[in-house]
Amino acid sequence: MTDVDLAVAMHGVVKIYPETQLHANDQVDLTLRKGEILCLAGENGAGKTTLMKVLYGMERPDSGTISVGGIERTITSVMDANALGIGMVQQHVMLIDDFTVAQNVVLGKEPKRFGMHLDVPRSQHLVNEVIKAHRFSIDAADKVASLAVGQKQQVEIVKMLYRDVDILILDEPTAVLTEQETEALFSTLRALANQGKSLILITHKLREIRAISDRVAIMRQGKMVGEYETATITEQDISRMMMGQSVSLDVVKPPYHRKKRPIITFKDVFVVKRNQPRPLLSHLSFSAYTGEVLGFAGVGGNGLGVLEAVLGGFLPVSTGAVFHDGKDITLRGTRRARSDGLAYVPADRLKVGSALYATVAENLIVASREQFTRFGWLQRRKIEKHADALIGTYNIRAQAFSPIGTLSGGNIQKVVLAREIDRLQDFIVFSEPTWGLDVASSRFVYDKIISLRDRGAAVILISSNLDEILALSDRVAVLCRGSISALLSPEQVAQVTKEEMGSYMLGMNQQEVRDV
Amino acid sequence: MYEPQRLRRYGIQPVLRNSLGSALIVAIALFFLVLLAVLLSDTPGTTLRYFFLGPLQNTYSFGNMLNAAIPLIFGGLGISLAMRAGSFNLGGEGQLYGGAFAATIAAISWSSWGLLGGIAAVVVGALVGGVLAGFSGLLRMKWNTNELITSFLLSNVVVLIINYLIAGPYQDPETNLIATRSIPEFMRFTRILEPSNLSTGFYGALIAVLLVHVYLYHTKSGYELRMVGLNTMFARYGGINALWYRVWPMMLSGALYGLGGAVAIFGTYYTSMREFLLGMGYNGLAVALIARFRPAMVIPAALFFAYIESGARSAMMHSDVTFEIASIVQAVVFFLVTSKVFQTIGTHRRRS
Repeated sequence: MTDVDLAVAMHGVVKIYPETQLHANDQVDLTLRKGEILCLAGENGAGKTTLMKVLYGMERPDSGTISVGGIERTITSVMDANALGIGMVQQHVMLIDDFTVAQNVVLGKEPKRFGMHLDVPRSQHLVNEVIKAHRFSIDAADKVASLAVGQKQQVEIVKMLYRDVDILILDEPTAVLTEQETEALFSTLRALANQGKSLILITHKLREIRAISDRVAIMRQGKMVGEYETATITEQDISRMMMGQSVSLDVVKPPYHRKKRPIITFKDVFVVKRNQPRPLLSHLSFSAYTGEVLGFAGVGGNGLGVLEAVLGGFLPVSTGAVFHDGKDITLRGTRRARSDGLAYVPADRLKVGSALYATVAENLIVASREQFTRFGWLQRRKIEKHADALIGTYNIRAQAFSPIGTLSGGNIQKVVLAREIDRLQDFIVFSEPTWGLDVASSRFVYDKIISLRDRGAAVILISSNLDEILALSDRVAVLCRGSISALLSPEQVAQVTKEEMGSYMLGMNQQEVRDV
Repeated sequence: MYEPQRLRRYGIQPVLRNSLGSALIVAIALFFLVLLAVLLSDTPGTTLRYFFLGPLQNTYSFGNMLNAAIPLIFGGLGISLAMRAGSFNLGGEGQLYGGAFAATIAAISWSSWGLLGGIAAVVVGALVGGVLAGFSGLLRMKWNTNELITSFLLSNVVVLIINYLIAGPYQDPETNLIATRSIPEFMRFTRILEPSNLSTGFYGALIAVLLVHVYLYHTKSGYELRMVGLNTMFARYGGINALWYRVWPMMLSGALYGLGGAVAIFGTYYTSMREFLLGMGYNGLAVALIARFRPAMVIPAALFFAYIESGARSAMMHSDVTFEIASIVQAVVFFLVTSKVFQTIGTHRRRS
């Protein structure tokens, strides 16, 4: 195949995020043929979205080349990308609710009257032409606020078609859609491909890859695993390539002792949100026992984040009940949860887990400030001593009075761990505890988690990193579409393969869930 | 911008580094002043001498300069406190005016209570300011309205209502001024540094600075307030009632403004005149910006502002420039303090 037949050829793309030194893209090659639908598949954090942002001019690569239509190009902004005929529909619709469809579509490329002001009738006419040509179910005069989610997404696509793009990128377009809306979207996409447009879909849903794509490109941990004709490989192959071979994390775990006391129990919990077609969590029932690590695995958008928010007290449950040591703690906010003994390491350590401009000492007392207060006065010396002690124990590279924002990612996480473990009573929640951390820091976190389990705490570990889940957890619950699709006993965890885990996570397989 | 936690132990260095940006702003503003004097004045030497030395040449002008700084200190503290909690109180004008007016009326009505009435009147002034600002905080807590807008709009309404009250029902019939009656003699603050207008109210301002500093950095509530201001999600995560800190800091902020108004009445004016404190609310905002919302730095920032005004007044009397020269210098300062560049000078950068 010559370069002329390729809509896009990316070669050797490297993107390193300076904050974490994370190689989001590591020597990635990608080709897109004219008139094809290519699925870009991979787990969370595999680097799919980063690669597409590089192509769309939203991120500058550290090295690598991009050719569009056979000519090498430097794309430094979205405007550049649009000029080259590249368009992208983001995962979350970004429209102005109070504007009409036409106003939203022409925004940034308006037909002008006398070169000055917006030509409203002409913009409506132009947008309606695009809508008619592609048989969308919307009208240019509709207010965006009155549209359903699937229709809003159509507006985003129309916006790109109005800009005459030949290459259209869609980032997880079906995440918020119902089955019917997904079907409608797919027939639109097929029609676009037949007209000669080239499409890239970012997705991790195997069924969709099978249903829509001509070819599939699979990424894992920042690297391109390979590009394949969809017809020639099985879903199992794709799943295995997405998950990768098991990496031994070399965690030494004393044997698991059979059930003791349930500490945290969920009984038939539902979380429903307005404007969401299906519940975020449904029929969720489980217990976390003393002296065990209960792992929650799943692919993004299947309820891991929602479970974290419920456990942290940020999100109320709609129906069902949550018990702590036999006591009903449903519908209590974070404040009550904290005084009930919640210890919780959040996934977002920068936006939730710390106040970057406050000092390490101040960050360390937020959840237990009552202990450092007498008659409303802060006991400064006690706070400093406390900070110095934890800095010593956890080997944190900082001083008590340094603003926490000046620390490295690993050290910030150590501060968060120190604070939460220090106030541990009988259970602790870890969410994505090693996200963006290097090997040494991850190692430290793993040792801590195991030692807490051996001290008899109930540890709930929420993580999209399968290696981590399998190495640390005594039992594993797999979340798929907001409910548990499999609950593995310690024996099963020891034997399960990543392919099997993948099939549970992606909803291809469902285990009869008994033991809860 | 961060708080150096242990200044005493680790010396003055961090303070200097944190003040570098502010010092540069002052220097640039003074450079503009010299430039203006050279351009506009026939005798720039005389103008500048009176501008710089006028406020310091005798107890009268020195005392008046200190006196002018009092409401600026209260205003600067009010803004700083709200800002530390992540709230923007733009209604200082109305809170100051409202506090002053309420304190005046209360003092006149309760003159028979003796000194107790005076104290009660000052408290009423603070309360009125606190309620006015607290209302905007309450709206934000309940409906997430922008407190910057609501406090500003409410303040405008309050100014107009009080204008009416002073010109109408509460106007003192014995004078031709648009003013209320005067508060009784025995309630007035003692003058210090005669013959200037400076009163013991200045000590009150200094005590207020100390109290706000202690509140913010040495009490649990102050800690919670600052955490909400630095990162609301983090505060919620730590179990802090973040909603309450939408209201409480606004109340305190308004109360400081109201107190500033009451102190101006008891120390300087003794009567509420129509729009007599106009502009002071906004100058408090500028002072807080120069101080970068640090209570202790509000004092030098307020003195600097008062010095510029006092210098301009002196230059106007003894030379050929007009008072507007002070406004120009203040405007330059205001312009520069809002720039990001000067805010980052001397602050810590995040290591990656």
